[in-house]
Formats: sequence, structure tokens, C-alpha cells
Amino acid sequence: MAEKRVKVLMAKLGLDVHSRGAITVSSMLRDAGMEVIYIGNAVPQEIINTAIQEDVDVVGVSSLGGAHLTLGKDITDLAKSQKLQDHMVFLMGGVHPPRDEAPLKEMGFDDVFGPGATQAQIVSSIKRDLAVKAG
Amino acid sequence: MAEKKTTREILQEKLAGRERTPLYNPKAVEKLRSEFDQWKNTVVREQDRKNWYATPRTILGSEVPRDMLYTPLNNPDFDYMEDLGDPGAEPYTRGIHANMYRGREFTMRQLTGFGAPEDTNERIKFMLGQGATGINIIFDLPTIQMYDSDDPISKGQVGWCGVSVDSVDSVDLLFKDIELDKVTSSLVTHYPSNTAILFPMYLVLAERRGIPWDKITGSVQNDITMEDVVRSGSEYIPPRACFKLQCDNIEFIRQNVPRWNFVTYNGYNLREFGTSGVTEMAVAVANAIETLEEMVRRGHDVDWVAERLAFFWSPAMDFFEEIARIRAVRRLWYKIMKYKFDAKSPRSMWMRCHIQTSGISLSYDEPLNNVVRAAYEALAAVLGGSQSLHVDSYDEAYSVPTEQAALLSLRTQQIIQNETGVIEVVDPLGGSFYVEALTNEMEERILDEITEIEEQGGYVAAIEKGWLHRKIGTYSYREQAALESGDIKLVGYNYQKSSTPLPEIDVFRYPEGVEEKQIGRVKKLRAERDTQKVEGALNALGDACKKGVNIVPYTVDCARANCTEGELWKVFKEAFGLWKVPSYW
Repeated sequence: MAEKRVKVLMAKLGLDVHSRGAITVSSMLRDAGMEVIYIGNAVPQEIINTAIQEDVDVVGVSSLGGAHLTLGKDITDLAKSQKLQDHMVFLMGGVHPPRDEAPLKEMGFDDVFGPGATQAQIVSSIKRDLAVKAG
Repeated sequence: MAEKKTTREILQEKLAGRERTPLYNPKAVEKLRSEFDQWKNTVVREQDRKNWYATPRTILGSEVPRDMLYTPLNNPDFDYMEDLGDPGAEPYTRGIHANMYRGREFTMRQLTGFGAPEDTNERIKFMLGQGATGINIIFDLPTIQMYDSDDPISKGQVGWCGVSVDSVDSVDLLFKDIELDKVTSSLVTHYPSNTAILFPMYLVLAERRGIPWDKITGSVQNDITMEDVVRSGSEYIPPRACFKLQCDNIEFIRQNVPRWNFVTYNGYNLREFGTSGVTEMAVAVANAIETLEEMVRRGHDVDWVAERLAFFWSPAMDFFEEIARIRAVRRLWYKIMKYKFDAKSPRSMWMRCHIQTSGISLSYDEPLNNVVRAAYEALAAVLGGSQSLHVDSYDEAYSVPTEQAALLSLRTQQIIQNETGVIEVVDPLGGSFYVEALTNEMEERILDEITEIEEQGGYVAAIEKGWLHRKIGTYSYREQAALESGDIKLVGYNYQKSSTPLPEIDVFRYPEGVEEKQIGRVKKLRAERDTQKVEGALNALGDACKKGVNIVPYTVDCARANCTEGELWKVFKEAFGLWKVPSYW
């Protein structure tokens, strides 16, 4: 039986203007055989609504504007309230101080990526995180 | 109907038949040619003969192959007066002023912006106190994207990444104790839309402080490239409307604020987003060309506008490419202004620029390496002849710079200016066989891409069609692949990565309570102002938008009535409608 393609939602967090990373990562994931739905800028509620609507496996959030802790928490709180955490992988990418990585993971992001994350790293993290959710 | 001639065609026509007087004695060149061939075949190793051309691979590079050695043979026809001229004289290749930095040092204009206006005010004063010679303000994301601090969409983002501004009151706090007629303020209002909203707030502040508009100096960005190509946003107005606002801003500012630079063509942000140095300049120049054509169509004298045009470039790590292309675009701009636009004023022919060292060329790993990178990039900018400079700080990949990092950036500039001696000689690399050949090459390539844009119907058309969006998507992905494969080396990241953990750097901590403070202020403003005046001003703006007149006098009235930024953006959206941005793929 053919393996179902991993479906990824890629969103820019809130009003963040910097999309080079999100666009590049979207290309990376497509090249790796995943289906990518790129929605551009979205607030936490919109991200969660679309994730549910599109029934995605992975939610990728890109934030370079500093709102990763505040709005990031809104995303994971909403995800928990909808019980999405059980099967959906949540990823945070962008520019964050190193001290924020642990809090991000604690609040519910399965992985955090900074500048310099490679295609191989992101793809293998996704596969690993999905396996953890499934198993 | 006659097809519109491209800029290249016009230049070729007008410049054909100009007499050239080669500097190199033709006999000497011939002699050199045979000696060079002999040298190449006897002294040079076979391996080097085979690999004579090498292409430096760097972030944001243009992949221009380089000879192992440059000699007069790379430019045998070199004509000093035609190709370079003396600085401050046509064709301005060597600099826009005869004395360059001896007459006026480059402005040290470091970006500042975070938190509430008073937080940034403190940092401005700090930088000025440490010797910065210009102010450069960057706004937070809600302000950039034109939403008020209390708009639900702004939640969690007020004061991050830039300073929060909602109304004239915010600008007043931002410039507390700063005499507007004694400083030069760059307000990084990236977009035509937010320039039309925010700059009037600064103007109204000047009014309230009793400072006439002809006494203030500074600049705004006001660039459609920023609003419709480089930005990721929730809502866009159509490119034609955006371009109109760009021109409205230019027209109004030129008429009413004579010492203000009304546009700073990108440049920088476009290249950072993902284009080569060649595309960066081709786009900026194509934008400038289209702007001037529109201003002429509006009935203005081309010199009236062109005298104050400015550009904004991003030097990355290919040291000589950066120097060469700044010189190239300076010469190209002169040719375009003189031969395409028949400019009469020398000022119109000057490619004036601000330069910011490239952010994306910096690394997250081993951040102190970035001090070195930024220093080399700054040096390239100075050797290229920039009027004004910002040096990125080493912690850019982490957050807004700490005070210490921002200070080091300023010191980098001061060291170049005061210790290296490079500013004592104008265009020190002029005449270098390498630099002149590369300058010629860059000019050709930039003109190639300008032609490509023109063949699509012009710059605004190219935006509408998504040509530039897709170009960016392709370039940035290719570059990422090159970084991952090690084709592009980034020391400390994919080359010589340190195996021992390095000490962590201090990362900026934002002030607390900014969002609540700003929300409180904007709510208080709304409660206390004259609502009738506000409504009247906003309605008048809406009418003006629909009528197609210059809308800036109306946005100034809105500022006077204490309208907030979000209120004006709403009017623009309603009047111009929304545009769906093209795909990057």
C-alpha cells in the first residue's frame, strides 16, 4: 500500500514580515515528498482552524518577530483544547534566543529550529516526531 | 504604435559614437598580450590554466566568475575620462563628490527600535552620546503592518522587533528631548502605505514643536518593493495603488519638506529576502525609472524629483563584488539620468545611498564571527563610496541587538572612519585592473536585468505577474541547497565548526509591560480626542483616495486629528481593495 504523504501546514506567526525561511522550508519539504499547505500570515486561531480543516500531520510555525513565546503558547493551548497534540506535530522555526528553546518545548512544540537548520535535520525530525505520536 | 524603447536601447543610441581615448598605449597592450600569453603558458601551472576562472561562492553572491589575474588586457580600451572621470564629475564612477569623505564623513546611522517609544528614546540618546551621527528608527510589526497596538491581530507583538507607534503622541515620546531640527532622522517606514501614515505624524510633531518643515532632515523608505514583494502580510492593496502612494509621498514631501529624502529604493531587504546583488540593483533602478516616468507624467520636472532620490544597498561577503557593483550602479545611474531622462542638475545624476551590512550573511553559530563579517562588509561599503552606513550587530540571529552589540557596530564604523585611513583618499581602488573590469561586468549584468524587467511592461507589471516573487523563491532555495552542500562555506557553521562548546552570548531582553502600556495609551487617546474631527479627517481621506488626488495632505490632517495608524490603513483597504499576493513557487 502506498505510504500516505505527510501533510504539513506552514504558517507565518501573526504579523511577522520575514518569510524567506518559511518559503525555503516549504520548498525543502515538498522536495522531500511532503504535501505543503502554505497559508502565510495567520493568528493562532486561524492556524489551528486550518490545521483541523486540512487534517494535517504537521504544523510548522515561523516566527522571527519575537512573538514565539506569547503567540506560541496560544497555539499550543488551542491545540491541547482540541486534543490535537495526540496526533499532530508542532514545530517552531525562526529567530529565538537560545534560552527560549526549553520553554517552547515545554509548552508543546515538538521541535524548535533556528537559522541554519538543514533540510535533512527538519525532515528527519518530522519523521521522528510523527513516529513518536503514532507509537 | 511604436514600441517603447528599453533603457539599454536608449543608452546605446545616445552613447554611440562617443570618442574614446584609450589610456593604455595600444603598443604597450600588444606587447603585453604576447608576453601575457607566454607567461600563461610557461610560468602558470597547467592546473591554474585549466581553472583560470573561479567563481566565489558566498551568500547573496552573483556568481560572477573571476580571472586568476587581472591585467590591462581585461580592459584594453579603458578610457579614464569616459569610464571613470574624476569624483564629483561625470560619469561619477569614482564618487558623487570631489572630496568624498574628506568633505563629509559617511553618516553613522545605526538602527534602533524596540519596546515602547520611551525605551527606544533611551537607546537613541545612548547611540548619539556614543558618537552616532544619524538616527535610524525601526518599527514593530504591528506598526509596520499598520495595525494599532490594541488591535487583536497585534496581540503578543507590540514592541517586539521594533518600536511601537500608534499616533503622534507615540512619535512625541520617541523623540523626547531630541531637537528635530538638529538631527537627521531616518524613519524606516518601509512601505508607501505606512509612509503615508507615519511620516505625517513626524511632520505634525514638528508642527506642534514649532519647527518649520523646511528645517528638518532625514529620510523615509517608501518603497513598493517592500510592501508588495518583500513583506509577508495578511492584507495587501494592489500594486498600482501602492505605486500611486509611493509617488504621492514623493510629490508631497518634495513640495513641502525640501530637505527630506522621500524614497530609499530597495536594495537591501529585497536582496536579503533572496536575490543576487545584480537583481537587487536592477530592481531598485527599474523602480526609480518607473517613478520618474510617473512624476514626469504628473507634470513635474525630472530634476525636481531626482535630486533627492536615494538608494539602499546590502553588501554581503564577496568583498570586491560589493565594491565593484556600487561603483557600477553609480555610473549606470548617471547614464540613465543624463541620457534617458535628460537631467540637467548634477544632483539628479548622483546615486546617493545608505548601506546596511547584510543580515542573512551572518550566522547563528559562533556569533562573534559576525563581528568580522560585518566589519569587512562595512569596509566594502566605504570603499564603494556610501553616504551613510549601518553595521549589523553580531547577535542579529538571536534578537534585537543588546546595547553592547549595538555599540560594537557603531565602533566598527568609527574605527573605519578614524583609524584605517581609508577615508583620506577618494575611490582608493580606482584604476585597479580587477576592480575596473569587475565594475564593467556588474554594470552590464545590472542593465541586463533592468531590460528583463522593462520587457515585462515595467516594474509594477513585473510585480503583478509574480515574476519577482518566483525569482526570489528559486534563488533562496538554491542558496539554501548550496549552503547545505557546503558549496557556500560559512565558517563555524558548515566549515570548521567548533567541536568545543563556546561561551554563550548575552541576548537582548525586552522591557516588560510594553503591550499593556501601549494599549492603555491608544485607548486613552481615542477617549480624549475630538471624535468628530477624527471622522471628518478619515472620511476626507477616503474621498481623496477614490478621487485619485494626492492623498498625503489628507493623511497629514488625520495625524493632526490624532487618528491612529490602524484607522488610516482601514481607509486604504476600503478604498483600494485587497490584492492576493502571487505565489513564490
